[in-house]
Amino acid sequence: MTTSLLEASHIYAGYGEVPVLRDITVHVGAGEAVGMFGPNGHGKTTLLRTISGLLRPSNGTVHFDGDDVTIAKPSDIVGRGLVHAQQGNMLFGDMGVAETLELAAFKPRARAGAKAALERVYALFPRLAERRKQLARTLSGGERQMLSIGCALMCAPRLLLLDEPTLGLSPRLKEELAVAIGEIHESGIPLILVEQDVEFLLSLTDRLYLVEHGEVAREIDQASAPDHQEIMDMYFGTAAT
Amino acid sequence: MTETLIATIVSGLLLGSLYALMASGLSLVWTTLGVFNFAHGALMTFGAFVAWTVAEAWGLGLLAGAVAGVGAAALAGVLIELLLVRPFYGHRNMLLITVMTTLAAMIILQNGAQVIWGARLKQLPPIVEGNVSIFGAVVSAHEALIIVIAPLVLLLLWWFASTTRTGRSLRAVGQNQDSAALIGIDVPRAFSLAFGLSAALAGLTGVLLGSIRFITPSLGAEPLVKAMIVVIFGGLGSLGASAGAAFVIGMLEAFLVLWLGLYWTPSILFLLLILVLVFRPNGLFGRANA
Ligand SMILES: Nc1ncnc2c1ncn2[C@@H]1O[C@H](COP(=O)(O)OP(=O)(O)O)[C@@H](O)[C@H]1O
Ligand SMILES: [Mg+2]
Repeated sequence: MTTSLLEASHIYAGYGEVPVLRDITVHVGAGEAVGMFGPNGHGKTTLLRTISGLLRPSNGTVHFDGDDVTIAKPSDIVGRGLVHAQQGNMLFGDMGVAETLELAAFKPRARAGAKAALERVYALFPRLAERRKQLARTLSGGERQMLSIGCALMCAPRLLLLDEPTLGLSPRLKEELAVAIGEIHESGIPLILVEQDVEFLLSLTDRLYLVEHGEVAREIDQASAPDHQEIMDMYFGTAAT
Repeated sequence: MTETLIATIVSGLLLGSLYALMASGLSLVWTTLGVFNFAHGALMTFGAFVAWTVAEAWGLGLLAGAVAGVGAAALAGVLIELLLVRPFYGHRNMLLITVMTTLAAMIILQNGAQVIWGARLKQLPPIVEGNVSIFGAVVSAHEALIIVIAPLVLLLLWWFASTTRTGRSLRAVGQNQDSAALIGIDVPRAFSLAFGLSAALAGLTGVLLGSIRFITPSLGAEPLVKAMIVVIFGGLGSLGASAGAAFVIGMLEAFLVLWLGLYWTPSILFLLLILVLVFRPNGLFGRANA
């Protein structure tokens, strides 16, 4: 069991008295890209927030690289290389693109490779390089997502959590981001990718979790999975009920 | 006639300098934590008293006194954040609750000062003795020094916030706490740093003011009110706007005193404040959507 990079086991979490996650268990193996989908409001974002330490689970444990990080501070979790790019992330509205990226290499571990990481981010997203001085709040939706992913890369990730990076983007931009995310994974960074678009996920990940009502309703391994169409039917079949 | 004019301008610069120092501290806490610290004036008083004790009562000299005063104020600021602000973080009514808790801190500091230092008037010696003449108007060298120190401190603060990693991290926390935490910034530590730094600025203002005015438990009350006018004038959002507004208000006050006298000046200032709020709800230099 300890071969997993990330192991979130039997997590219960919610907001105040409202429970959202009920006994959810997911894992990510070394080098793996895992997809996560499911209807809106069923706890995907809540799970990522719990893993990255923004939310404390009422029950369950999170292990990263063999260490228990269940009650660790978010800043320490980032320091270990478990990096979370939030859904609809606004980042820092009054900061420029370059300043934000530089600041994102905040932890000593990230600082060491900051220069190379910055070049890599600009190579991956040339639009960010063109907008170095522009304030984050003046960026378009797609550019903001690029900045958000770029920030995550500046943190020297050993596992990347990407929460709906293409939410509300045009098909063309979506394609652009898909290519970038594929490149990031190919460079050796494991990831959890949350998306509504199952086909998008199938093209980028090895394994999928369908999250419903705060638990894993189904796990789909692409290697042993039925063809894409059947997965789609499965998804829309369960989501409709 | 020109002498009066120059004297008034110098007096306006002096007031502006003091208000800018006060307001920049208030603005630092506001932009980082979203808390309006009503104890800011009392922290200034506290710093002045501690400086007096070390410099005069213990006879260790003004420099030691100034260091102690600034340090003590910073420490008190950190404690206020830890005990009276942090427990309510993320609370639905946080803004309202922290209005009450920082008001409580103000009362505790003020009454504490009354008990410890008593009501007898105290004063610090000036940093530099003697007078200087600026275009024929004679001012004390200490006041001239304040006019030089304040912009320098503000520049230093601006440099800290815009170029250093720690300064940038404070701005990041003020703009998006979750995102700040997710790039590895320790948010609670940033809060305590912002409060400590802001209180140190209050302490410094106290030390500077302590040799112009008498140090009493209510020394900080009037500067706090003025700093509030300044931050509302300038918009709480930015250091530059607060500093700019501080000098506008300082100059305005100096000329109002010259033309209308001390008696009417505060009322007119408040009237102007209300007018600004009616026509520019986000402050004189505030962004429309701030
Ligand atoms: N900050 C919050 N406070 C209270 N409830 C929340 C909060 N954020 C999300 N929720 C609720 O938690 C549930 C799960 O939300 P979320 O994890 O965002 O779902 P998903 O990412 O799968 O769309 C929803 O019912 C949502 O309304
Ligand atoms: Mg979500």
